[in-house]
Amino acid sequence: MSQEVAPVKCVGPEYRAEDQKPTATVSTVVHFDNVTVLPQTPQLIALLSIIRNHTTARGDFVFYSNRIIRLLVEEGLNHLPTVSHTVTTPVGRPYDGLSFQGKIAGVSIMRAGEAMEQGLRDCCRSVRIGKILIQRDEETAQPKLFYDKLPEDIADRWVLLLDPMLATGGSAIMAVDVLKSRGVPEERILFLNVLASPEGIKTFASKFPQSRVVTAFVDEGLDEKNYIIPGLGDFGDRYYTR
Amino acid sequence: MPSTVPVAPSTPQLEDLVMNLAAKGTAGTSSVDGTIAKRAHYAPPWADVSIIGIAGSSGSGKSTLSQAIVKKLNLPWVVILSIDSFYKSLDEEASRKAFRCEYDFDAPDALDFDVLVDRLRDLKAGKRADIPVYSFEKHARMEQTTSIYSPHVLILEGIFALHDPRVLELLDMKIFCEADADTCLSRRILRDQRERGRDVEGIIKQWFAFVKPNFEMYVDPQRKVADIIVPRGVENQVAMTMVTQFIQQKLLEKSTHHRAELTRLETGALSQPLTPKVHIMNQTSQMRGMNTIIHNIDTSSEDFIFYFNRLAALLVEQALNNIFFTSKTVVTPQNLPYRGLAPSGEVSAVVVLRGGAALEAGLHRVIPDCKTGRVLIQSNIRTGEPELHYQVLPKDIADHSAVLLLDAQMSSGGSALMAVQVLLDHGVKEERIVLVTYSAGRMGLHRLTKVFPDISVVVGNLCTDAEERWVERRYFRC
Repeated sequence: MSQEVAPVKCVGPEYRAEDQKPTATVSTVVHFDNVTVLPQTPQLIALLSIIRNHTTARGDFVFYSNRIIRLLVEEGLNHLPTVSHTVTTPVGRPYDGLSFQGKIAGVSIMRAGEAMEQGLRDCCRSVRIGKILIQRDEETAQPKLFYDKLPEDIADRWVLLLDPMLATGGSAIMAVDVLKSRGVPEERILFLNVLASPEGIKTFASKFPQSRVVTAFVDEGLDEKNYIIPGLGDFGDRYYTR
Repeated sequence: MPSTVPVAPSTPQLEDLVMNLAAKGTAGTSSVDGTIAKRAHYAPPWADVSIIGIAGSSGSGKSTLSQAIVKKLNLPWVVILSIDSFYKSLDEEASRKAFRCEYDFDAPDALDFDVLVDRLRDLKAGKRADIPVYSFEKHARMEQTTSIYSPHVLILEGIFALHDPRVLELLDMKIFCEADADTCLSRRILRDQRERGRDVEGIIKQWFAFVKPNFEMYVDPQRKVADIIVPRGVENQVAMTMVTQFIQQKLLEKSTHHRAELTRLETGALSQPLTPKVHIMNQTSQMRGMNTIIHNIDTSSEDFIFYFNRLAALLVEQALNNIFFTSKTVVTPQNLPYRGLAPSGEVSAVVVLRGGAALEAGLHRVIPDCKTGRVLIQSNIRTGEPELHYQVLPKDIADHSAVLLLDAQMSSGGSALMAVQVLLDHGVKEERIVLVTYSAGRMGLHRLTKVFPDISVVVGNLCTDAEERWVERRYFRC
């Protein structure tokens, strides 16, 4: 199927000379205003290298993917609305800060998306988390909604939609449709994703221009079975059962 | 003097130019973009240790006197080094002799002065010195060593402390202890029986065969080079007071000098921008939101600790972008290659106590099994001078590809300077050090990067200079 040319770059801090920075394949560049790709730091590339490696054991896969997911959540939360808020510090000086407005909820697409719940909880302790089960219908080969359980007041919340892999975008699009049918405005949906294909990004970002995708890495493309390549295998399998 | 060599008038501009040119030729070692940052010099208070030699006959009260002095001063940076640690290991024959009490331990030849001089020179240069451990039961050097690091005053105690001219050169004060021969012998019998596992007969045999003749030949002549001769050892209160006062004077000089150094490093710092190696965290809305909660005096302790840990993990993640990586191609489960990166080697951490310990929860979220050294640096209540009280570092720290130095807050930069110096003294290369701190003042950052331009620094947010250390107080709740 389709494949982009993977960009290879010197990766490292700005103050270091190019010849002192090792080269690595970084995220494919995509041009959508509503897509945020995490900064391609050497540390992020090293984390991705571990979870991509087929020899990485499950314990390490869980630990290192959690680290990436926490970075995704931290970045995702930056897109929530704020108001300025001045406080007094313990040494008595004023601090011009800000506080967050609006309530949030997490919604994971089962089962791989549930692997991202821990990372979300690490940042937002008592967040409400809904779940959506979408599976491929054997007859039509289309994604089909099997189950959902969402907070009652979901329409009043900002939603962090969780799915680590964005391949064709079929499930993610269906999940957003479910959320919209429950009254969540598109602009209050943030889709957090570890690894995306350029096709998936394009489909999702153009179908929901008001929503936002935050991803760690856009890979080269999809293979004939619609797996992301070079990819990292089946995320849910590697996290839960392999 | 009959004549003097004329000294050429100095032309500073020309010299600077030559220095700059010379430095440019080797650019790349100090800074990447070719600009030459002038490195300021920092001398820790242990850089020029004062050494006091105490010699005298066996049993004359040298070690009792040394211990009494140390006890009276009660400061961690006044330490005793016994010359007995430098006995040579005995070969088989000598060893057999020794067990029969026929080996001459009381001649200068039994001591390894070369190693002693080396170690003293290391200490004088501010470095860590590994001191051999000698077993009197086995008459051999043990495999392990003990180390001495960062004393401000060192008391070198032993019968031949004033014997070797190379040692004499390094001494700041030379003391010779005196006691009547019968006092010496009786003390020696008691000590060797109790501490060194000898029997009375052997001890007396040694005394007349070796101790006494050696005293006359080598020990007693040392009195000629001594500054002070102390009769009656510890009972001699006047001598004790003289020596302790001399040491106190030395300590005060060092402290004054150290504080003057720190003040000197302040001047001119503020007019320059921070170097690119100082990374202030992007003030994203999450960052500012967390900072607001952390800064708010009304935040509950539970929330404070939660948000501080969360932010600390982000600081450590950012710090790891400054370590060294190498390219590494991995194969994915789809059997496809991915050209990625892997850290070039082990990453360890050193916590500057107490504040740095507040960042440990964050550190362990990122590297759960990170080897962690600890240094306790406290500011003197009266003078504000940072003082090194305690340090334990991973043994192989010099081989680690990066060392994260953690401190919660940095105001004047005094303790950070000292902590970096400790790492350098233990063989860690400057460019491998990443200082991680929740907040820092510009002054402290300037001071630190002026002295150590090759370290990188990650700062959560900038604060005013000389801010109190409130973060650790909030985090540990006391």
